[in-house]
Amino acid sequence: MEKDNREVLLEVKNLEVTFNNSRKNKGFRAVKNANFQIYKGETFGLVGESGSGKTTIGRSIMRLNPISDGEIWFEGKRIDGKISKEDRRDVIRNIQMIFQDPAASLNERATIDYCVSEGLYNFHLYKDEADRERKVDEALESVGLLPEHKSRYPHEFSGGQRQRIGIARAMIMEPKFIIADEPISALDVSIRAQVLNLMNKFKEERGLTYMFIAHDLSVVRYFADRIAVIHNGRIVEVAPTDVLFKYPLHPYTLSLLQAVPMPDPQIEKAKELVVYDESKRDLSGEKPILQPIRPGHLVFANDREMKEYEEKLSEMEKDIL
Amino acid sequence: MFKKKIEPLKASEPLKEAEIDMNDPSLFGFQRADDSASEHIAAPKYSYWGSVFRRFFSNKIAVLMLLISLTMVLFAFIQPMISHYDHMVAPNINNSSMHFLKPFTKGFIFGTDNRGNSLFDSLWSGTKNSLIVALSATFFTEFVGIVVGMFWGFSKRMDAIMIEVYNVLSNIPTTLIAMILVYALGGGFKQLIFALCVTTWIGTAYFIRVQVMIIRDREYNLASQCLGTPLWKIILNNILPYLISIIITSVSRDVPAFISYEVALSYMGVGLSERYASLGKLIQQYSPYMLTEPYLFWIPVFASAVISVSLYLVGQALADASDPRTHMI
Repeated sequence: MEKDNREVLLEVKNLEVTFNNSRKNKGFRAVKNANFQIYKGETFGLVGESGSGKTTIGRSIMRLNPISDGEIWFEGKRIDGKISKEDRRDVIRNIQMIFQDPAASLNERATIDYCVSEGLYNFHLYKDEADRERKVDEALESVGLLPEHKSRYPHEFSGGQRQRIGIARAMIMEPKFIIADEPISALDVSIRAQVLNLMNKFKEERGLTYMFIAHDLSVVRYFADRIAVIHNGRIVEVAPTDVLFKYPLHPYTLSLLQAVPMPDPQIEKAKELVVYDESKRDLSGEKPILQPIRPGHLVFANDREMKEYEEKLSEMEKDIL
Repeated sequence: MFKKKIEPLKASEPLKEAEIDMNDPSLFGFQRADDSASEHIAAPKYSYWGSVFRRFFSNKIAVLMLLISLTMVLFAFIQPMISHYDHMVAPNINNSSMHFLKPFTKGFIFGTDNRGNSLFDSLWSGTKNSLIVALSATFFTEFVGIVVGMFWGFSKRMDAIMIEVYNVLSNIPTTLIAMILVYALGGGFKQLIFALCVTTWIGTAYFIRVQVMIIRDREYNLASQCLGTPLWKIILNNILPYLISIIITSVSRDVPAFISYEVALSYMGVGLSERYASLGKLIQQYSPYMLTEPYLFWIPVFASAVISVSLYLVGQALADASDPRTHMI
């Protein structure tokens, strides 16, 4: 198999996240038995509707949400639960996050200088004051901002500029892995490409690995190498991007793909939207699990569904060949 | 860049095509797009405290009140140094011709009282003591309240305990506790300040806790956590600056409240001991003469009202000015 010779950077095993807000019921399971691996240097897309638990997975990796079950491994070290101070330091230095809302993710009462160098201060990643200033200047320039912006406050910037400040703040830590939590969904359409290009530039320059959380497939299609589709806290399909778009199997993936607007008004008007409804599906048989149907292509199914998917897949393969 | 400046054509002159030669190569050239130009911010630099003071000093009433309260405070602290007023000393107590002199007689600006002491001297000495009590009580209450409230707002475990403590303490009448404490500890400055703080810090802490809870889970705090910022630094850099306006409001309520609290306690006879003059003590001491010698009663009441109101209005104006939402014009 192809994936065996690639280095796994992050591995999530049987991850469960439960939010308890009352003692009576068992709580809300936001993430159910999630399994995936992210290889070094790739962009891993995590796609699902709002409330499907994709942000929760991202935050659990960042150790912002406690997990109720499972394991998270980063570079061969377990990083969930109670870990030593040094390990936590390493996690923070190596994993950084880009937030969704650029308006909310910057401290409005701090200058850009402080916002960008906050991580440097915390880990004392500079020799002296001049070195810190040089690093901040470089970080700002690398995202296309000017060093003169250091003394400004976040409210003076546009949404796109703020998001780039957020990227500079993460990049200054020289991380290996970036969790981008819908980094472009709060931005103007005209600015989105700029931010995506910037992220790609960093990926090429520094060999970064991304986990790109998004709610629509059209964006990840051009950005991600592999995509995991998540529904109701469960990963329903994992495949390389081109495979997922060519051979979508799970009905939820199909409905997500269909929701991507077509730039043709006639097709778009004639299109009949299929809304994924789990209650209308035939869920009989044993409990489904996420299992490989082709190398690198995993789908959430039980044996009966596997047979159906297998038939469908071979048919699609014939059509394309 | 265009080297030649093309003169604008006047309306009376008909446009002659020959005048601008569209094929003249010197008019055209390649331009490089300057990306950094679009990043430039044209707005003048924003300074938080600069805007606060500009906003505050544009409020005429606030400036007037600031002048009044500053004059009162300065007078209260400087005048007793000159007069060396001592509440226990009454040199004219046996000279009845010096008793109950009306204001502006024999050089006594506010007249004299039942012991022949100058009301002007005792008033400023009393104001000084009242201010010392109110300002120190405000300082300690706010300090303890803010520190406790910050961690109270952040820690769920602490919240579970503190909310019960708050429920118990806030249901006991505070004046009663203060009275008992002053009775038990004695009527000194420290004891009175302690009694005032013990009864009020929990209210301030609760107030801060609620404010912290409102902004605690905002995304920029998560971002700081992701960057490894320790809790105390998050409190100091992410939470406290947002609460400046709220804290100033709280302080501006506390100072006048403590002045009146002291007046009330002294009036009931459980404030400062007999050794010290204070606004409350003076009002209590002169209240029997409210009808016969009204100036003795009303001047301290008026002084206490003026200082409370002016400090309160200054505080409110400062709280408004320190809210950055008012800085955009």
